[in-house]
Amino acid sequence: MLDAVIELHQLTKHYGGTLAVDDLSFKVEPGHVTGFLGPNGAGKSTTMRLILGLDAPTSGQALVNGRRYATLSRPMHEVGALLDAGAVHGGRSAYNHLLCLARTNDISATRVAEALEQVGLSGVARKRVGGFSLGMKQRLGIAAALLGDPGVLMFDEPVNGLDPDGVRWIRDLMRSLAAEGRTILLSSHLMSEMALTAERIVIIGRGKLIAESTVAELTARYPSLEDAYMALTADSVQYGAAR
Amino acid sequence: MSILASEWLKVRSIRSTYLIIGLSLSAVLLGLGLAAMAAGMYDSAPPDKRPNARIAELEEVLVIVPQLCMGILGTLAMTSEYVTGLIRTSLTVVPRRWPILTAKATIIGFLGLIVGPAAVFGTYFVSRWILGDRFSGAYTTEFLDRLPILAASSLTVPVFALLGLGLGALLRSTAGAIATIAGLVYVIPIIIGNLPEPWSERLGSLMIGALPRQITGDGNASSVFGSLLPPAAAGACLAAYAALPVLAAIWLVRRRDV
Repeated sequence: MLDAVIELHQLTKHYGGTLAVDDLSFKVEPGHVTGFLGPNGAGKSTTMRLILGLDAPTSGQALVNGRRYATLSRPMHEVGALLDAGAVHGGRSAYNHLLCLARTNDISATRVAEALEQVGLSGVARKRVGGFSLGMKQRLGIAAALLGDPGVLMFDEPVNGLDPDGVRWIRDLMRSLAAEGRTILLSSHLMSEMALTAERIVIIGRGKLIAESTVAELTARYPSLEDAYMALTADSVQYGAAR
Repeated sequence: MSILASEWLKVRSIRSTYLIIGLSLSAVLLGLGLAAMAAGMYDSAPPDKRPNARIAELEEVLVIVPQLCMGILGTLAMTSEYVTGLIRTSLTVVPRRWPILTAKATIIGFLGLIVGPAAVFGTYFVSRWILGDRFSGAYTTEFLDRLPILAASSLTVPVFALLGLGLGALLRSTAGAIATIAGLVYVIPIIIGNLPEPWSERLGSLMIGALPRQITGDGNASSVFGSLLPPAAAGACLAAYAALPVLAAIWLVRRRDV
């Protein structure tokens, strides 16, 4: 599992006239949590969609385990991702939602039950997802990512909507998954939380790489990770409408 | 196969599927009600008026109910994923993408093939049972003679289901796809009916509602549409209504960002 990595090579994505990701290159290595930071609209979610083959890059490429994601035949066994916890059909039960995903990659119903147990949703497995709180949906999305026991995991803001209990649970889960040798890319806007969870940090702004470093280096140079983030992204804060 | 199992579970695991199939089959109850009403009117009419009383084939009128309902089921099978964003997850776990669409088309088409005949034949049999030999024996024709048109009408239901699926995938909008289907059934025929000849009949012959009778070869001159197509061409036209949107969607979903 140690060679399981995400590699971006000069990844670029235009949407019409908008440059969402601009010549972005970095690597995510196994064995620790890599925090993925940047202001709103910096291109974090787009980058994750490009890695997952959901959007086609304008140029450059993203590789997972040395291959383009789109060439994986049963990808859930290699890569798990949580992009948007709200992306579920409210009328379906948590168990059926996961089973629908599991079936496509020949993952057993037993494994679905295990994943629900792992995220603490066993008690509501048969309840319709529409009634779930955001925190419960985050847990469901994490269960979906874990279904295939993949070596590479990507989470886009999984802490949103979680209670303090849930925040700590995510932190411990991320670290234990990393300790098992998995590659973890985690985006979040909660700097204090990121400082506790991540070992390495990738910061982007306006689609470009701003910094690739370790938390230790950043907190040595700046008073805190938050201060480091503020200083490094000061020129990159922008909003879509300002373009 | 595993993707087919997944899509089958997707359809089975939401309540709206059962609701929509139930609504499709309610055509039989509507047929029952209309037939009973017509029978009552016929029986209370003066005997000398009865020989001139006519009734439309109820199963051919009411097929519009399963057509629209299954069209909506097909649409929702696709658009419910786009609206919620679930499509991103679905396409992430199946990066080749097209198997998702072919699996959905297989299941939606299969459901249409079950529900269509159930609704059409069900309506036919309750109408026949209630009306007996009323209306100059409209429902006393041998069943085997009526079988071709009943089968052809039934086939329009899976066509609508697949048309809905294809439009849903192309437009990614529930409202857009359903409005297109409703327009195809209600609005476009009215526009075509008001075109000058020969265009009214030419284009009218291509409307879905005109195809079953052209397929069976008993296109009647009183058709509100047109009846210019030979049976094979009418069959191909009906198949194209289902196949073209689905094939276009398969082609597009492989290329489009989600």
